[in-house]
Amino acid sequence: MVDQLPNLGREKEMLAAMGMSTMDDLFADIPESVRMNEELPLRGPQSEEEILADARRILGANVALGDRVNFLGAGLNRNYVPASVFQLVTRGEFLTSYTPYQPEVSQGMLQAMWEFQTLISELVGLEVANLSVYDVSTAAAEAITCSVRVNNRKASQKSTVYVSELTPPARISVIHNYTQGGGITIKTLRHNSDGTLDLDSLSEAAGSCGIYVEQPNPLGILDGGLTSVKGIIGDNTAFIVGVSPVSLGLVEAPGNYGADIVVGEGQALGSPITYGGPLYGIFACTKAYLRQMPGRIVGRSIDVDGNEAFCLTLSTREQHIRRHRATSNICTNETLIALMGAMHMSLLGPEGLEKLAQRNMAACQLAKQKLSEISSLNMPHSINTHYNEFVLELPGSASECISYLDTQGLIGGFDLSNWYPDNENWLLVSFSDQTTSKDIDLLVAHLSVWTASMKGVTA
Amino acid sequence: MDCFDEGGDSLSHLFEHNGASGRGYSQPEPISPVDNLQIPSSLVRSKLPRWPRISEPEMVRHYTWLSNRNFGIDTGFYPLGSCTMKHNPRVNEVIAQLPGIADLHPLQPEHQIQGTLAIFHEMQEMLGICAGMDAVTLQPVAGAQGEFTAIRCIQEYFRSRGELNRTKVIVPDSAHGTNPASASMAGFEIVEIPSQADGRLDLDALRAVVGDDTAAMMITNPSTLGVFEPEIAEAAAIVHEAGGQMYYDGANFNAILGRTSPGIMGFDAVHYNLHKTFSQPHGGGGPGSGPIGVKSHLADFLPGPIVERREVASGDTLTAVNDEWWYHWQEPEHSIGKVQQWHGNSGAVIRSWAFYRRYGKDLKTMSEHAVLNANYLRHMIMKEAEEKGVSHVFCDGAPVDVVKHEFTLSLAPLKEQKGLGAMDVAKGLLDKGYMAPTVYFPLIVPECMMIEPTETESKEVLDEFAKKFVEVLQEDADVLHNAPVTTKVRRVDEVYAARNLTLSYPFDE
Repeated sequence: MVDQLPNLGREKEMLAAMGMSTMDDLFADIPESVRMNEELPLRGPQSEEEILADARRILGANVALGDRVNFLGAGLNRNYVPASVFQLVTRGEFLTSYTPYQPEVSQGMLQAMWEFQTLISELVGLEVANLSVYDVSTAAAEAITCSVRVNNRKASQKSTVYVSELTPPARISVIHNYTQGGGITIKTLRHNSDGTLDLDSLSEAAGSCGIYVEQPNPLGILDGGLTSVKGIIGDNTAFIVGVSPVSLGLVEAPGNYGADIVVGEGQALGSPITYGGPLYGIFACTKAYLRQMPGRIVGRSIDVDGNEAFCLTLSTREQHIRRHRATSNICTNETLIALMGAMHMSLLGPEGLEKLAQRNMAACQLAKQKLSEISSLNMPHSINTHYNEFVLELPGSASECISYLDTQGLIGGFDLSNWYPDNENWLLVSFSDQTTSKDIDLLVAHLSVWTASMKGVTA
Repeated sequence: MDCFDEGGDSLSHLFEHNGASGRGYSQPEPISPVDNLQIPSSLVRSKLPRWPRISEPEMVRHYTWLSNRNFGIDTGFYPLGSCTMKHNPRVNEVIAQLPGIADLHPLQPEHQIQGTLAIFHEMQEMLGICAGMDAVTLQPVAGAQGEFTAIRCIQEYFRSRGELNRTKVIVPDSAHGTNPASASMAGFEIVEIPSQADGRLDLDALRAVVGDDTAAMMITNPSTLGVFEPEIAEAAAIVHEAGGQMYYDGANFNAILGRTSPGIMGFDAVHYNLHKTFSQPHGGGGPGSGPIGVKSHLADFLPGPIVERREVASGDTLTAVNDEWWYHWQEPEHSIGKVQQWHGNSGAVIRSWAFYRRYGKDLKTMSEHAVLNANYLRHMIMKEAEEKGVSHVFCDGAPVDVVKHEFTLSLAPLKEQKGLGAMDVAKGLLDKGYMAPTVYFPLIVPECMMIEPTETESKEVLDEFAKKFVEVLQEDADVLHNAPVTTKVRRVDEVYAARNLTLSYPFDE
């Protein structure tokens, strides 16, 4: 504490200047009936050295992904982030600034975010992007409420949005919390047994305010059928697509096949996973949705000398102006993480992005091929092309398999019965640019042993 | 300075970097052939994004150039009211990058994350103690999301009791804009009540609107004027008597730690801004973290899971933090579900934990110094203005003896006398090398300027700011209308930006 308070020991001098004698004088306005009369029952202060030592000891008790061979993904991938990103983002001018309310002294962050908007627009193929929302789940939820604001007047299914049945329950829960207040009805879009979107189910969504699907979907499937979605649902129903941004180095930008709003988990571009936060939610849309979109937007302008300058714009959508009529309550967002994303995207360039996507996809494809050689493993959706991850149907429960792999030093994947309770033998295995072919061989070897032991049990 | 500025980056636009083979970092080759990736033909990307092609040295220089065009707490005094721009201790950044937090996945099993759960538990306990609340969730990722989450908990609480008639949320007209926006998003009707002429809460106005349709009142204390509401307990009693809940907006929590608490004042729910009170760096607009605390009757509705602990048992895979306790996730019984997909902004929670450890129970001293600095600066500005004969160009936003962590000034007299508004003074302060205070908020103070120095500024900085502030007030109208002149760009035309929307780089221009 002593190193943080410049005026420690000078209280009397400062109080005297104001004609006061004790700190209590400064709090005389708090009525006695609501004063805290005891000390806070907390520990004593620590020095920086002690804090760091404690942090190392306590956080050292965790198993970091990098300590193990890891196949856990489920939407968050451990991509490599170049060192310069971390070095630059901790520059105090970025790190310790607030939202750029005074543009004249905030041009750096404003321009960086305007560039971020451009990078995202180009990535997803849509005209406008904001400078991030919290994560993909809140991005999806905000996209849904946005689609209702824009389309409800013309909709025959009022205040109704259709959401893919594969959407992870936690994301659905966020969507529920964000939409229930507006009286929005969430209906379900079905998928075929091979994991692709059921286009017949989709036709039920015509006349609604919007539909939400993901590409790749939560089973890791790249669904070619999504390119015909917009033709089925029509102009007055928002086509909202959740993307894995790195995949777009190989996969068509959703804006080029009719998406009205694209959301995504930005994390793989620029940020470590950090136990699931901070992340950044990508939010981009067509101009038709611009004035109903949530969050901060930077625009290019000029200063009084006519020089190029940047500032926040379209603020009349926002809570500090519009208050309860705002498009969203969002204020603080994930700017610094988006800045890391912008830095990473800049370093990648178009060809670097393509290569990164290839590395992710090549790892997934190699794993699929090698795991398909274990005869007792089934791949229920193997007919499709996968990005980052796919489902293994095991001869026993996924949770037991994960426990076994854990004893062998592997973080084996995700037990999909947590998302889809009917599928307790489904293991979601993930592969990224950080996966080596040795990692895959290790997974194959251990799964072979485990599945053989299961055969013994069932025989 | 200009020549340094221009010399930093010969290409000021990222997208002008377009070297044919430029790649900012080399990558290993894919681990299997990529000539047959079997992407569905309709999904093959037709045209790569028009991203820059930039080498690492160019990229480092571009972002360093941008950083030099940005003002942070590290650059100088940042008295942005309501935002609590205190120093961000750097060891917190070192800690947040340790693999034991940065390289963790939220779906890892409990035995692999005992360290994180131990810190989360310590933070839940600490935040609960400081605010006088019984249960805490760390999941909301920003203050506004914390507000929304707490209001959702209150909504489900009333639904569980069959009190479906409670459809209204009361907010004072001095409230942060997020309060009504959050309650409205949850589906509530907003009832705004006027403040008294001196900015304080008007109990008669409150009495006039409470009833059996009241779900909650949202209020911050100290108020957005930096003034402690003396009748807060009475307000709580009025709302509770009507069957409603009291919600504490924690934006101004930095003023009161160890001196009082929302729990003592009678609140049922509170959000904390870890990026204000607990020094998570604001990063130019986030990430933040907005945990909420609630009294026991709301605990079952919190978003889940939250961390609990039990004594270690045989069979536990013990680690360095399990000398006594085993930490585990627990879903509250009637949880509203999730507001963020995972467990919130864990990186921010870890930084704030490191900040908390530096103070411990002396968080009280932290708040005392925040209040000391605010009052001292207010006093010095008044004194200096009097000595220089300009005390007639502004007045107190609230005529009180002491303020808390921030104070407001009204520049309405200046507007009347010279046609200069709060924004002109703000721009004048930029020319003196300061970040400007918050302007035009709260809305109830005309030509408002809201000043919050925080506890991490020295007496010398405050003395100097008071002098410079008064110098600005003495400037000729022409000078201030024309300010700023020393900044990287001059006054930015926000109307032009809105009328000529250019939201991305115009490649075809």
